Amino acid sequence: MTETEEQQRIRFQVELEFVQCLANPNYLNFLAQRGYFKDQCFINYLKYLLYWKDSKYACFLKYPQCLHFLELLQYEHFRKELVNSQCSKFIDDQQLLHWQHYMRKRLDLLQAQADKHSQSVKPNT
Amino acid sequence: MAASSTRQKLLSLIDDIEIVSKELFEALSTPKTQLRPDGADSVMLMELLVEKDQELKATIKTAEEQAEIQSVMDNLKIEVEKRDQEIKVLQKNLKDSETILSTAVYQAKQKLESIAQANNKRTSSEDLIKFAHRISASNAVAAPVTWAPGDPRRPYPTDLDMRQGFLGQGTYTDVSAVTRSNSQISNSKYRSS
Repeated sequence: MTETEEQQRIRFQVELEFVQCLANPNYLNFLAQRGYFKDQCFINYLKYLLYWKDSKYACFLKYPQCLHFLELLQYEHFRKELVNSQCSKFIDDQQLLHWQHYMRKRLDLLQAQADKHSQSVKPNT
Repeated sequence: MAASSTRQKLLSLIDDIEIVSKELFEALSTPKTQLRPDGADSVMLMELLVEKDQELKATIKTAEEQAEIQSVMDNLKIEVEKRDQEIKVLQKNLKDSETILSTAVYQAKQKLESIAQANNKRTSSEDLIKFAHRISASNAVAAPVTWAPGDPRRPYPTDLDMRQGFLGQGTYTDVSAVTRSNSQISNSKYRSS
C-alpha cells in the first residue's frame, strides 16, 4: 500500500489522537453503545494500534495510560462490559483517584513535615 | 537343642541338679528296708550329679564368652549410631547447600534476563526525563495541586479536547482507504516509517 509522505504524516496524527482518546472511559462507553466493538474491522484496527506500545512511538503520547486501555480492549469480555455506563463510571472514578494519588501523597508528606516542625518548635518556647 | 538359649540351658540344668539332689537326699535318708527296688542307686545319682555340675560349669563358661561378645556388639552398635548421626548431619548440610545454590542460580538467571531485557531496549536518560516532564507538566498523569471536584480537567482527552483536535476538525483526507485496508488485514503489523 503506497502512501505519500503527507498522507503518512496525516495518518500518524490521526492515529495518535485516536489512540489517546481511548483513555476516556466515556468515549469508550460511547463506542460500545453504538456497536463499534462488535465490528470485526474495528477490533482488527484496535489490534493494529498496539504498535503504539513500542518506545519509538510511545514517546509521542501525552496520555500514556491509553495504552493500558488499548491492551484491555483486546479482550472481548472488556469490550462487552463497556456497554454498561456503570462500568465506565467506575473506570472514570478509579482513573481520577489514581490521577490524584501523587498529589495526595505529596500533601500527606507536607502535612507530616509541618507537624514534625511544629512539634520541634514547641519545646523551645 | 541348638534353638534353646544358654539361659534356658542353665535354668534347665539347675532344675535337673535340684531334682537329682532331692532324689539323692531321699535315697540317703530312707532306711535300707524301705528302699524301692526300682529306685535309683545313690552312686548313680552321685555320678549324675557330678555330670550335671560339669555341664553347668561348661554352660557358665559359654555364658561368659557370650557376654563378652555381647559387650563388643554393644560397642559396635554405639559406633554405628555415631556414624549414622554424622552422616545425617552431613546430609542436612548437603541439602541446605543445594537449596542455597539453587536459589543463587535462579536469582542469577533472573538478573541475566533483566540485563538482556535492559540491553535490548536502550533509552537515553535524557529522553526519559524529557518524556516524564512532558506528561507531568501538562497534568496528564498527575493531578494539579489545586484540583477540586468540579474542575473540568481530566486525566484523559475530554470531549472538548477531542472536538478541537485534528480528528474533530475533520480536515484529513485520503486516510480512510489505508485505515480500512489495515483493519481488513486481521494480523497486519504495518507500521508507519
